[in-house]
Formats: sequence, structure tokens, C-alpha cells
Amino acid sequence: MGRRATAYCLILPSFLLAAFIILWPLKEIVNLALHDVNRFGLLRAFSGLANFRALFADPDFLAALWRTLVWTAGVVGGTLAVSVPVALMLNGDFYGRGIARVIVMLPWAVSLTMTAIVWRWALSGESGMLNSGLQGLGLIDGNIQWLAEAWTAFPMQVLIGVEASIPFTTTILLGGLSSVPDELYDAAAIEGAGAWDQFRFITLPLLRPFINIAVVLNTIYVFNSFPIIWATTQGGPANSTDILVTYLYKAGFRLGKLGEAAAVSLIMFGVLLVFTLIYVRLAMREEAA
Amino acid sequence: MKRSGFKALLLACAGLFALSGTVDAGTVRVTIAEYSKGTGPYFNEAAQAFEAANPGTKIQIEVVPWDNLQQKLTTDISAGANADLSIIGTRWLLDYVSQGIITPLDAHVTPDFKARFIDTFLKPSVMDGKVYGLPIAASARALYYNKDVFAKAGLSGPPGTWAEFTAGAEKIKASAPGVFAFGLQGKEIETDVYFYYALWSQGGEIVQGGKSGLGSAAAVDAAKLYRSYINGGLTQPGVTSYSREDVQNLFKQGKVATVITAPFLSSQIKNEAPSLQYGVAAIPAGPGGARGTYGVTDSIVLFENSKVKDEAWKFLDFLFTTEQRTKFDKIEGFLPVNAREASDPYFADNADLKVFTSLLPGARFAPVIAGWEEIATVTSNALQTIYLGRAEIEPTLRDAAAKADEILAKK
Repeated sequence: MGRRATAYCLILPSFLLAAFIILWPLKEIVNLALHDVNRFGLLRAFSGLANFRALFADPDFLAALWRTLVWTAGVVGGTLAVSVPVALMLNGDFYGRGIARVIVMLPWAVSLTMTAIVWRWALSGESGMLNSGLQGLGLIDGNIQWLAEAWTAFPMQVLIGVEASIPFTTTILLGGLSSVPDELYDAAAIEGAGAWDQFRFITLPLLRPFINIAVVLNTIYVFNSFPIIWATTQGGPANSTDILVTYLYKAGFRLGKLGEAAAVSLIMFGVLLVFTLIYVRLAMREEAA
Repeated sequence: MKRSGFKALLLACAGLFALSGTVDAGTVRVTIAEYSKGTGPYFNEAAQAFEAANPGTKIQIEVVPWDNLQQKLTTDISAGANADLSIIGTRWLLDYVSQGIITPLDAHVTPDFKARFIDTFLKPSVMDGKVYGLPIAASARALYYNKDVFAKAGLSGPPGTWAEFTAGAEKIKASAPGVFAFGLQGKEIETDVYFYYALWSQGGEIVQGGKSGLGSAAAVDAAKLYRSYINGGLTQPGVTSYSREDVQNLFKQGKVATVITAPFLSSQIKNEAPSLQYGVAAIPAGPGGARGTYGVTDSIVLFENSKVKDEAWKFLDFLFTTEQRTKFDKIEGFLPVNAREASDPYFADNADLKVFTSLLPGARFAPVIAGWEEIATVTSNALQTIYLGRAEIEPTLRDAAAKADEILAKK
């Protein structure tokens, strides 16, 4: 008991610091969300759930909410689908592996905003690199206006998101792969398991905890990710590529509706919290089983 | 050991508070919007010159990109950490005045000082008879046209009306493959403004009698005009992916034959595409002869909570001397706001600028209404829907007008 009390005492200072850093802003945001707020953050009358009601009455908000889920699922799923094979390849022994690893990690060194701006230029309709590249390959005849409409812009944004998330995910998976003992593969090979079976029955199960952590972290990053969408389309044309965080930015800073913006951020917080709790619970149950 | 750690923490905290309090009475903090790469250096130089002439006063310049200015001001003001002086878009002025965040300058503005300005540019910063800001930047819009492309199409000069413009555009389409006649902006800031040029020429107004003019016949005609250009292949394809800078770049590359924009394109062309043969003309008129250009000013304002109002005013006085204004406007390519400055040969003999100044009497400024940014957003969204051909023109504009009316009624 005494030992326990000491342990709690020792944690207490950092717990208080963390609580202050996390809970105080949360309290402020809840406060903003429940009030009528002017453009400069001055609280006026208490307005209950009026800000939330206004949001759910706005079709653009509902569309952005739905699009955020598609965006997150698309980027996280796409990243995983690319990163697992990339990590497997980089884990193998081949000439120039060091250089290959550096190349895969490089996008990580460039700020996300810069990546997005470079892509904005590359996707430009009349003078973009992508169009001239595709024409050079003879794949298209005329220029495609990538960012003019949501059905071409949004998939490209998801692809940029995937590109930006690969280095981080690959790093986590490489760490996981290096912890798989070689003996397991040797034993499996002797028993007659082919490459696919080795992957299914050895690599994938042992990699699972690493994949889980990659999914949770990526989901949190991507769900909140602002630069890619903002730098390429600012959520346009006509809000058709908005996700929650770009919607929030416009509501708060362009239109001066700080109360509604605070409400959006609370909703985002709630969605992420619920997702993380469910996912961690599921992942833990799997591991226990 | 433990104790000294705690002490260190206390000291660190005290240090933080001290830091936020070090800006003493003699320091004037100024938030500056970055118009170009010359903005920061100009203001730092001006601050140094001012400090040399006024020992004891320090000027602290904070340069912020234009796109982040509103965000920075909002967060600074809500935290009470704003500077003493700041540049703001004059169209935001109403919000600042109605919330009592900025202070009128009338105590210092003498008739002599007032006489320095060209009245058109000072007026937007005046509210309820009080001067709340000084026009730090001024601009208007006109039609830039590519002379080589026009000559190739057999056009002798710039079009006077939209009807002439349409006829000329068809000739350009036939004579210059790969060149689009009309550079139409359809993305990001001022997408709505690009439409107002046509709206005004059809005799419409943005707001009339407290109601939105978007549902009017003039607005429908204006939208139909632009839509016909898009459908007829007279604009660059995919207009909703082109911001103002993107369209200007197409013009510099010779890929669009015309673009409507501000004087600063002239200086950009001089630096980036010096061989481009271009002219500047008034924006075409509508069937009734109506036409309009957009006048814009940014104001520099003094915050109510500033503790160094007198020193701040002195710096303003310095910035608005003829010498300083001439220097700044030459760097940025803005229109002169100072009457004496306008007679400087650089401005008086500049053919491009002459066109802009001649258009000023008919210039319209953003209407002084609360929620202007929200109306601009509603309008831009409606226009993008129309440009994409995703909805009928009339119902889309009527819906947008209803939304704008709702915003107008709130105040």
C-alpha cells in the first residue's frame, strides 16, 4: 500500500501537468461551443446546443463529416496496402537497400504543406507536370483539369495523403519485421510452407500489433490533417472537397463563427475518441484470444 | 536538489510572465501584411529611419502572410496579445469598430493631414464621421489584354463592351489555337469579385436597399454571359481550378488573351515576362453602358488597448509622408493614396497606372455590411456550381440571394 501511494505521488506532478495541458483547453472549447461568441472570441449569451443544431442543419457540414470518414478510411487503408509490401521488400537483403530505405523515408523530411503545394503545381491543368507527363506517355490527349472538380480532385488528394503517410507507416512496420526471428521462416520452409503461407501464418500475425498501432496513429493524424486539402483546393469548388478540419477553419477564421468552429472541434474530438476506444478494445481482445 | 528544481521552475514561470511584459512604453508593435517580398524590408527600413529620428521609441515590425492575417488577428485579439498598429482589410473594419477594438484617430487627424490623401481612398476608412484607419494600400481593377494575340486576330484595340468582347473572343479562338480569349477566375479569394465586374456592367449591384442583388435579372445575365464563355471554349478549361494568381500566370505565359486584375500585374510582367506586349483598358461595359471596377483599400488601424497611442500615431504620421508613400507604392505596385505622391513622374507618366486612376471615379468598394465575408463565400460557392454547369443559373442564384438576405437581416 505504501509503495503504491509513493508510486501515485511520483506520477502526480506529470499527471497534473498533462491534465492542465489537455483539460484546460478542452474546458475552454466546451465553453466556446455552448455560447454565442463574437468574431474575437468574446463570449456573449449562453446558447446551449444552438451551435450544434446550426451545424447539423447545414448540409455542407454533414457532407464534410461523411467525406472526412471516406478520406480517413481511404488514406489509412491505402497507406497500409502500400506500406506492408514496401516494408517487406525493404526488410529483404538486396544491393542498395540503404539507398532504397532513404528514398522511401525522404518524403517525411519535406513539410506536408510544401508537399501539398508542389502537388498543386503538378496538378495544374495547363502547365502541370502530371498532364505533360501523361501526354508524353501517350495516355491522354487533352489536359485534365485535376483540381477543377471534386471527382478528380478528391481521389488525387487521397493519393497525396497516402504518399505522405507511407514513410511513417513503413518505419513502424520495419521495426516490427526486424523483431520476427528468422528461425521461424527456416522451420516453416522445412515443413514445406511457400512464400505466401509464410506471409499469412508467420509475418502477418507477428506484425499485427505493429499494424494496429500504425492504424490508430495514422487515423488520428489523417483525420485531423489540414495542409493537403487546404493547399490544393481549400475545400472547394463549392465545398465539394471539404473535410471537417477545413470546414472548421473556414467557419472560425473566415466567417468568424468561433462558437460553431469550437463545436466542430468537439465533434471531431468525440469521433476520434470513440474510434480509438473501439479499435484499441478490439485489438486487445484479439491479442488476448 | 529537489528544492532547487522547484525554484528553477518558479523562476522559469516568472521569466515567462516577465517576457510578456517586457514590451515597455517606448515600443510600438506593428502587424504588417506581406504583400510581396519587398514588404518586410521596406517596413524594417522605415522603422529604422523613424527610430533614428525619434530616439526613445522602438518600432517592432511583425510580418504576416496575407492569408494568415485574419487568423492571427482573431487569435491575438481574443488573447489580448494584439499589436498596437495593424493592417486590416478595410472590408473588415465594421467588425472592429462595432466591437470597440480599434480607436478613432480624429484626435490627431488635422485638416492638413487629411488633405494629404486622395479622398476616394480615405473615405472607406471613415465610419460615422470618424476616421478609423488610414489607407495603407490601394488598388483598383482593369482589363489587361495581350496586344500580339489581339493583332493576330485582327482586333485594333481593347473591346469597349461585352458584345465587342464576345465577337473579339471568337476571332481569337479562330486565329490563335492554344490561346484562350478570357482568363476567368473560379477559385479562392475574390472569385465573387470577378463576377461583380460583369454584374455591374449589367446594371446590377451587390447589395441594394439592404437586399442581395444576386437574384436580380442583371446577376442572371452576368452569369449567363460567363457561362456562355465557358461553354463556347472562350475561357481556359476548368475555371474552378484557377485562383487569381493562376489566371495571372496564364496571362504572363500568353495562354489567355485577357485578364481582369490589379495594377501589381504590371510590375510582375516587367520582372517575369518583359517581352510580353500588353495593354490596360477599362473593363467592358454592358448593353446599357454601365460599367464598374472594384476599388480596394487596406487600412492601418490603432487598437483601443494600445498603451503607446501617441508614439504609434507619430509612426503613422511618418509612414504617410509623401516620401515614404512613394517608396512603398513603387515597391508594391499600388495606386498612390497621397495627392502629392500622385504627381510624382513615376505615377503621373505611367500609362498603365493612368488607366487605373482614370477608372477610380466609377470604382465600387466592398459594401460596409456585417457578415461581408460570409456573403462572399455564399456567392463564390454559387458561382462555382454555375461554372461547373452542375445546376441551373436562376435557381442557384436565387438560393444564394436568399442566404445572403438571411445574413444581411441578422444585424
